[in-house]
Amino acid sequence: MAVPNRISSPRFAGSIVLAARQFPRHRAAMIGLVCLVLICLISALAPYVAPYDPIQIKLSAKLKPPSFEHWMGTDHFGRDVLSRLLWGGRTSLGVGLLVVGFAFVLGVPLGLISGYFGGKVDNLIMRLVDALLTFPPLLLAVALVGLLGPDIQNVMLALGIVQAPVLARMVRGSTLAVREDLYVMAARALGAGPGRIVLSHLLRNVMSPIVVQLTIVFAAAVVAEASLSFLGFGTQPPNPSWGRDMSEARRFLGDAPWMFMAPTGAIMLCVLSINFMGDGLRDALDPRAWRTRRTVAAGERR
Amino acid sequence: MWYYLGRRLIQVPLVLIVVSLMTFLITRATPGDPVQIMLGMQTSPEAAAAMRAEFNLDRPLPVQYGLWIAKVATGDLGRSIRLNDTVTSLLAERFPVSLQLALAAMVFALVVSIPLGVIAALRRNSWIDYLCTGYTVVGFAVPNFGLALVLIYVFSIKLDWLPITGIGSSEAAAAGFWSYIKPFMIPAIALGTLQTAMLTRLLRSSMIDVLSQDYMRTARAKGLLPGTIVVVHALKNAMIPFITMVAVQFGYMIGIQVTIEYIFAVPGMGSAVLNAVVNRDFPVIQGFTLVISAFFLFANITADMLYALLDPRIRY
Repeated sequence: MAVPNRISSPRFAGSIVLAARQFPRHRAAMIGLVCLVLICLISALAPYVAPYDPIQIKLSAKLKPPSFEHWMGTDHFGRDVLSRLLWGGRTSLGVGLLVVGFAFVLGVPLGLISGYFGGKVDNLIMRLVDALLTFPPLLLAVALVGLLGPDIQNVMLALGIVQAPVLARMVRGSTLAVREDLYVMAARALGAGPGRIVLSHLLRNVMSPIVVQLTIVFAAAVVAEASLSFLGFGTQPPNPSWGRDMSEARRFLGDAPWMFMAPTGAIMLCVLSINFMGDGLRDALDPRAWRTRRTVAAGERR
Repeated sequence: MWYYLGRRLIQVPLVLIVVSLMTFLITRATPGDPVQIMLGMQTSPEAAAAMRAEFNLDRPLPVQYGLWIAKVATGDLGRSIRLNDTVTSLLAERFPVSLQLALAAMVFALVVSIPLGVIAALRRNSWIDYLCTGYTVVGFAVPNFGLALVLIYVFSIKLDWLPITGIGSSEAAAAGFWSYIKPFMIPAIALGTLQTAMLTRLLRSSMIDVLSQDYMRTARAKGLLPGTIVVVHALKNAMIPFITMVAVQFGYMIGIQVTIEYIFAVPGMGSAVLNAVVNRDFPVIQGFTLVISAFFLFANITADMLYALLDPRIRY
């Protein structure tokens, strides 16, 4: 039986419009968003904007400091550090985004099912989640990638598996909090099946914390991909990657500090932008934290 | 509370069994044969078969797991396929090194975060508060291996103040306290910065909460000295969530060291797992992950217990 729209849950789309109006008032969040969009854009356009081929070796130009010719210097093979940085961004951000998608697809349904149905299903899923969460995330990712083989697809798979339990547990908690709400009971009374209740009522109402958590997953995935590549388990040479390039720069710390500074700075800038954006999103999606002109003027900070 | 503690402790073996089962399945379901890696490609089938039999790798999977877990229950984690040593003696070598590094990182985190968090809360919206916010924001964003490279460049290469190797070496330990501490400094700062940021932020907001309580006004009205108010009334209460967080984060420390161990050639748990993964040394992977998980679980239980001990309002 179709459930009339009138008693449907508070609309997520409506709250998005309200949140979108709030977001620009968070100055740091806007800066984060702009930086992140710029980083993503430049990385996506790397084939067009990178001044040199990132893997072409030119030994005559090795370990050259930053100059007009090479803005960020060259590495031990004479490759342009800036070009490698831009191409490396494609890998890091691409992996980050895919991990976000993978963690969402894996973690959110598990959390919704666990929270809505409860009982044995909940117990089983949560014990698995508990066990996965007792592994240190990076070590679990290293073990998975190391055993499956160092390959970028395996990196994404491993990072998704590492991040999904965190998301599942959070979604379960939020689902538990809203599952007894009036609109859910009303939907149930009108004969809506579990699928409909979970998808069009519960998911919509637990979406805000999920969105915020996904920004955290994104930042964690960028750092984790760099860590794995740094340890030699992610992107394989000669392909550019921030973590891989830092690992190579390790051997030339004294002679060519620009080699490690560029990727370290890039990762930091990227994570900073994502964190700022996440903070802004959290405030924008939480009506209690909405900024009115008065609170902004009073400079309230907690 | 003792009932709650008992219930939590009973759950530990159950979680560990799930963990061990998962590790076992992951190692067996993925490609790579430890015997072939150990003996090389040009080995006689008989030698390979003998080695497989020695490590029970020729048995069906449920039997392999059953034999292993039965031994684990008696405290025997098996023998390393690669290193001709028992997993327990490897652990005895590696665990103390990792524990020392984790302790050093935690000491750094506490030494920085307690004063910074308290002052930032007392002087809200002052330059020192902004400095604290800046520090935490950067601390959250910089990856520990990137920070390690920056610190090596500055303190080891440019200033030549601190060594980059020497953790776990008996000579450094024998040459006196300072030369024992020195090699820990850069790795501990690199490893502990994220925790420092987390703890500073937590202590700042928890101090701000406490400072706005009624009993603070009462303490001031009684005419107590400002120092007494801050330390005895505010900090003591603000420390409750802080200490729990310290315990939880300490549980994580052993497992997140792997990149730092890799850079500084520290003979710790993380690098052992890394080598074991590369060589498909199943007993080492299984034994070490079990110990790391158990350490994490106990740190969490300790955190929950501390919470109840410190805050009389909490009763389990």
